[in-house]
Amino acid sequence: MTAATANGGAAGAGLAIDGVTVRFAGVTALDGATVRVAPASIHALIGPNGAGKSTMFNVVSGVYRPEHGSVRFAGQELVGRRPCEIAGLGVARAFQNMALYPHSSVEENLLLGRHHLTRSGFVAGGLRLPSARREERRHRVRVGEIAEFLGLAHLLPLPAGDLSHGDQKKVDIARALCVEPSVLLLDEPVAGMGAQETHEVGRLIRDIRAGLEIPVLLVEHDMGLVMEIADRVTVLDFGRVIADGTPHQVQNDPDVIRAYLGTGDDHPQIGVR
Amino acid sequence: MEKLLQLLFSGVALGAVYALLALGFVVVFKATQVVNFAHAGLLMVGTYCTARFSAAGRPFAVAVLLGIAVTVGLALVIERAFVRPVVQRSVVAVAIMTIGVDVVLQTEVTRRLGIDILPVGDPWGSATVEVLGITVPQTRVAALVVAFVVLGCFFAWARFSDWGVAMRASAEDHRTAELMGVRLGRVSAIVWVIAAVLAVVAGVFLGAFPSPGVSPTTSAAALRAFPAAILGGLDSTGGALAGGLLIGLAETLTQGYQDQLSFLGQGFSAVMPYVVMVAVLLVRPTGLFGTTEATRV
Amino acid sequence: MSEADTLRRTLSGRQAARLGLLAAALVAPLYLDAFWVQVGVFAFAAMVAALGLNLLVGEAGQLSLAHSFFIAIGAYGYTLFASPPGEPGGEIGWDLPPLAAVALAVAAAGVAGLLFSPIAARVRGIYLGVASLGLVFLGQHILVNAEPVTGGFNGRDVPPLTVAGFSFDDVPGETLHVLGVPFTRVEKLWYVGVVAVALAWLFYCNVRASRVGRAMHAVRDGETAAAVMGVDVTRFKGAAFLVSSMLAGLGGVLLALAFHHIVPETFGVLLAIEYLAMIVIGGIGSPGGTLGGALFVSSLPVVLQRYSDSLPFVAESPTGGGVTAGVAARFCYGAAIVGLLLVEPGGLAALARRVRLRVAGRPHRPALRPTPAAIDLGDAVAISDDVAPATPNP
Repeated sequence: MTAATANGGAAGAGLAIDGVTVRFAGVTALDGATVRVAPASIHALIGPNGAGKSTMFNVVSGVYRPEHGSVRFAGQELVGRRPCEIAGLGVARAFQNMALYPHSSVEENLLLGRHHLTRSGFVAGGLRLPSARREERRHRVRVGEIAEFLGLAHLLPLPAGDLSHGDQKKVDIARALCVEPSVLLLDEPVAGMGAQETHEVGRLIRDIRAGLEIPVLLVEHDMGLVMEIADRVTVLDFGRVIADGTPHQVQNDPDVIRAYLGTGDDHPQIGVR
Repeated sequence: MEKLLQLLFSGVALGAVYALLALGFVVVFKATQVVNFAHAGLLMVGTYCTARFSAAGRPFAVAVLLGIAVTVGLALVIERAFVRPVVQRSVVAVAIMTIGVDVVLQTEVTRRLGIDILPVGDPWGSATVEVLGITVPQTRVAALVVAFVVLGCFFAWARFSDWGVAMRASAEDHRTAELMGVRLGRVSAIVWVIAAVLAVVAGVFLGAFPSPGVSPTTSAAALRAFPAAILGGLDSTGGALAGGLLIGLAETLTQGYQDQLSFLGQGFSAVMPYVVMVAVLLVRPTGLFGTTEATRV
Repeated sequence: MSEADTLRRTLSGRQAARLGLLAAALVAPLYLDAFWVQVGVFAFAAMVAALGLNLLVGEAGQLSLAHSFFIAIGAYGYTLFASPPGEPGGEIGWDLPPLAAVALAVAAAGVAGLLFSPIAARVRGIYLGVASLGLVFLGQHILVNAEPVTGGFNGRDVPPLTVAGFSFDDVPGETLHVLGVPFTRVEKLWYVGVVAVALAWLFYCNVRASRVGRAMHAVRDGETAAAVMGVDVTRFKGAAFLVSSMLAGLGGVLLALAFHHIVPETFGVLLAIEYLAMIVIGGIGSPGGTLGGALFVSSLPVVLQRYSDSLPFVAESPTGGGVTAGVAARFCYGAAIVGLLLVEPGGLAALARRVRLRVAGRPHRPALRPTPAAIDLGDAVAISDDVAPATPNP
């Protein structure tokens, strides 16, 4: 994988989430949360269930509008923009529930990721103009490359719903890569996977960081993976940031331990396998 | 001024009738997620039966009860034979299916009616009465009173009775209700019965005023339950009331001031409910009191 | 033989079948009597419009009951643009050449669809469905009231289609003969219909397999996820309405030509429900099914009327013993909807597929293209006519 990003100068930029507050009908999902993702790094977002992690992703993607705060990337403010505009800036996302289209082929699912990079509309598509056909061919080749990189090439013609859970997760990641991302948001990429597959995906994410040199923000519950691959970790609890640092710093932070395990006499270490 | 008051009164009376209709629609949707397009068809069947029983010499109250009985039976058959097998698969399939059922029901009733206008046999006819200084037709007063009573009974039942609670639980959260022992099949049957009763009561009044009887135009009026329910919010019983009243008032006022509004063309009062509905939806896309869906990604 | 091979075989079998149908359609008027040619013309008009509705409902997942409104714009638009002014029963007319009138009418229908689409951006699901119903009522109201334009309640005559001097109408004194068969208005219109359906079909299939098709499916199956993936949802809904309404408009033009004289009553709620019936019976999301559904629903009343004496329950007139053909037809497609949804929600297309697989000795297996999730009919599967050989060899 090369560092071929869709937006030239964006490679090398970081993602800056500052003081984001989101409230729904009386519940404060995020409270002044700040996360700084350095370029070419893997930044993990952890916390107990309901801490606001997915909400954070939805704010970055533009699905939710925060009451306060800003999200800046490559000199652009993302808050207030529509989700499709944000995707156009190169912010790509793999979802918690995958949001794949089960009856369409894997290739069709991946091609959706190329949407913002392609142009042909109803006229070109409906009349099958040569320009549309050429564009389609080019992008299928690229999709093939990305599928190859993730070891999914042999699955391309199959209906996405027929794949194993682990493979579906990989397709979701592949689709995010098809966007030619400048920022990658991964929502629980190894949920439901066994040790072997988790290891594989962990390696994959590291390869992506090395190859694309983009900020990768990762929501994950699997502490082993987080310890292994994350450069920095931010811990959320009840919408607030309660710790931010390297994996080891966070592992021993008493606030973090309390958030996960409640008050107790012993201080177990989190994330030890 | 007298005219305005009369129109307002009429509007509220008509609105009450629409509220009954809309409520029947909303109740089924709330409890079972089914959009029941056959609602208007049930109304037509029940009202037609009432008219025929009346014409056959039965006293009005008996005719109404018989009409209700027939419609309730029909509703139960529809629910059991057509809705239940399909609803687990998909609610949209059921909605489309109810369109099919409605087509069959309405075709049959309009076939029997032909071009006739069948009087429903109500005892009020064109008699008028003085209320608060204005002269209003008795039918409208009766409509208001009956609607009030019926709605009151419904809300009391929903609030306090076991089955009412079961219905509200099922509407709130299907799965949990089931796990808590609520018999969803029973709830489904019950709400269809309620819808049938409400439809017939409303239909009888629609057959009493503004037109002098049941005819194919009654069916067009019955269709207005949909915008009423939608603009109030499809899963809100209070919304059905508000929507019904709003639609009734809009229609009556537009009709009453038709001469001043002649630039809008003849018969705009039939279109007005939809205009109001679209206007409300643009401001509140899920109706006045409907719950907005949160998308989880 | 693997299932992949079977599918490949049935695929080219399908292509052959389609070409055969086309060939049959081209020579049919030479053999069919005028009644059936007339049925065909109406069916072709319905097919074009139904494809438009399937695009909107099946591919883009937008529930619209307003289709008869856009069809009306096409029909009345053509009449308006092509009629000479000052005629009794419709004073306004722009006397444009018929082809220009067709183009303008289709464009007008498209624009109307585009204007309605912001409502679709704001309002979803069943709320959108009922809102679109309002459009039908509004449309009928306008049609009845705008007398100088529409001829009011009694309707208006439709000017015939002429292309480069050739008239698709009965020309007194000059009957065209092809291979010994006299070609009247209906025979000529038949070919217009065939061309229109073929073009609409090709367009539909191309769109479905293209980038815009993927985007529409994404909007249909999960709007939020689609937006996050970069799809401009509002724009695509607008585009879907635009294209769908244009197809409806084209169908409306054909309908007007077929009817010769159009009245507002035709374009009401019943017509909108009929089109919904067409795509449900045919199979939502399947263009082939749509054609079948359109043929079925549009021809049912006339066919029942024709054979009313041999059918025990169908009477010739309202006072005869039994029901009239129109009523019987409505019973039929109402019952068909109910029956199909109980048994095979994928419609005729799914039934055809089951038969095909049964004949080839293969077990039933869902196809690649589904009934859309937003219009999810449960385990219904609509049929892609271009099923890629999917299964790896076991």
